[in-house]
Amino acid sequence: MKLFEYQAKDVFSGHGIPVPKSQQVTRPEEAAAAAETIGLPCVLKSQLLQGGRGKAGLIKIVRSEDEASAAAAELFARPEGVKVLMVEEAIDIDREIYLSITIDPLTARGLIIASAEGGVEIETLAKDKPEALIREHFDLTRGLEAFRARSVAYDMGLTGDAVRQMVKIIGALYQIFTEYDAELVEINPLFHTKDGTLIAGDAKLSIDDNSAFRQHEYKITREHFSSDAEYEAAVDGIPYLQFDGDIGLMCAGAGLTTTVYDLINYEGGTIANYLEFGGPNYRRAIRAMELCLKNPSKVILVVTFGTIARADVMAEGIVEAIGKLKPDRPIVTCIRGTNEDRAVEILEAAGLTPIFDTEEAVREAVRISKGGAA
Amino acid sequence: MSIFIDQSTRVLIQGVTGKEGSYWTKHMKEMGTRITAGVTPGKEGQTVEGIPVYHSVKRAAANREIDTSMLFVPPRFTRDAVFEALDAGIKKIVTVADGIPVHDAVQIRRAALSENALVVGGNTSGVISPGKAMMGFFPYWIKRVYTPGRIGIMTRSGSLTNEVTAMVVAAGFGVSTLIGVGGDPVPGVRFAEMLPFYQDDPETDAVVIIGELGGTMEEEVAAAIAAGTFTKPLVAFLGGRTAPEGKKMGHAGAIVSGGTGSVKDKIAALEKAGALVAERPRLVGTILKEIFS
Repeated sequence: MKLFEYQAKDVFSGHGIPVPKSQQVTRPEEAAAAAETIGLPCVLKSQLLQGGRGKAGLIKIVRSEDEASAAAAELFARPEGVKVLMVEEAIDIDREIYLSITIDPLTARGLIIASAEGGVEIETLAKDKPEALIREHFDLTRGLEAFRARSVAYDMGLTGDAVRQMVKIIGALYQIFTEYDAELVEINPLFHTKDGTLIAGDAKLSIDDNSAFRQHEYKITREHFSSDAEYEAAVDGIPYLQFDGDIGLMCAGAGLTTTVYDLINYEGGTIANYLEFGGPNYRRAIRAMELCLKNPSKVILVVTFGTIARADVMAEGIVEAIGKLKPDRPIVTCIRGTNEDRAVEILEAAGLTPIFDTEEAVREAVRISKGGAA
Repeated sequence: MSIFIDQSTRVLIQGVTGKEGSYWTKHMKEMGTRITAGVTPGKEGQTVEGIPVYHSVKRAAANREIDTSMLFVPPRFTRDAVFEALDAGIKKIVTVADGIPVHDAVQIRRAALSENALVVGGNTSGVISPGKAMMGFFPYWIKRVYTPGRIGIMTRSGSLTNEVTAMVVAAGFGVSTLIGVGGDPVPGVRFAEMLPFYQDDPETDAVVIIGELGGTMEEEVAAAIAAGTFTKPLVAFLGGRTAPEGKKMGHAGAIVSGGTGSVKDKIAALEKAGALVAERPRLVGTILKEIFS
């Protein structure tokens, strides 16, 4: 789960990382007062999880209370669905720095990435100027040693008091990284001000979903998702992605679902949603189909090839779901795996025509999605 | 013997008395796997399928011969269970847990690297050599998928593995050893680290990898081929060619982010190194036929 900037800055600030003064507002009419409290000029920042907010016009500098009101009205009216604005102190900056901590799967170590040239997307920097990136690995069981933090600061070309500040910030970022089971903690840009202080201009904190059982502070909310269905599925623990095509996928197994997604594209079809109800969810066909039916599509395609996710159980689930939900669109099934012979019997007894080959099932779904008879 | 496990390998089951553990212990045994002991804290003295249960790995190892450990342990306890097995000197471990915290996974892999051990998984079905033995859960009774043969398979998926392997068998081939490295962002072992075992295995003529978007494991395989350390034919099927950037496609590790992990880049690297890439599962069988015709 990614935190919003204002949440991440709360965490950063609580761990001693300097952040600009700010207030959150949830209605346009609160913006002028907030701007007055923070001081003008100030920055209005839309609290959305997408990157590149500046380029997308989701961040505005305002110089008066009137400008603050107008800019807030504009941002709250954006199609992206802005729910919260941060009204933040404008910082007089000398330059921008990049700093993050993440995981390196290959070496199985933590990885600090830093650059004296921040502000741009790290991918862009990695591609255009790889030599400007500093990479420092550390052992998670040993912890982040002080010498490594100093080494990063010196390699960035920092001098004097900035070294001390940077070491402190890296140490705090590491604390957050471990405390929050983070996949990524990032400050980009980290402002180096004209008077020589380091202040976090932005804040990213992405918490590992597998650690949810021991990370209780932040919960997913509707604002983390771009549709109601995605939010409901996430609350239910069913992997679901919303698209705007014609075929609703209701498959089991992540790799298989992704492959069916590709095959539909190869065959000229389009996808309405990606839904994967394998693993722990294989007995939840009714809920899965309910989610699929919320989404407009012309046909639902069920493809499975499970081991623990038994074919007979899934076939029964599909038949039960059809009986209960009375779907208004055809269902194409291709259910294989443990007890697959029994699955075929169950589907046929319910009047369905089970298909046994993935590509054939995909072609059938694409044909129906283009207006063919079911 | 086949790589990793065969009928003579003595297997310990950690979490043997649990629902999953006892169910799959029965199947592993029926398939021919030699299981010598089980561990569940607090359950010493019991037996599961005739297998003696011990409180700890140390106590099991003191009483029974053990070559490798199979974990049916929930994700939140997996790190401790792996460390316990490593501490008892076990060098080959398989964990099927789905949902291991990524910081735990990093520490598991680091410990495995330091101990010169192999930890396969998590988020995997495990390891199988059809007709011989398995650690994990595979529908070995479906003969159109799990037929013995001379093709090595490595995979990041479960259901997709059944799909692709069925195509390999339909084309007239069978499987020597199948290793599921799993769908997590930090798997215990990586594709390229298992390649030397397949290279040296007289029972493997070619290797199929079933990869997907996210991470760099397929690129590492390409590098091994390019460096000449793996010289047998290699066929790859990769899911997610048409996947949008920034979306997690089911598996925690299946996401294109920060400019790495796109299937397009993986295919380019593999093809440049001389591997053959199948666009669809069915074509894996077709390509193997062409190689061995």
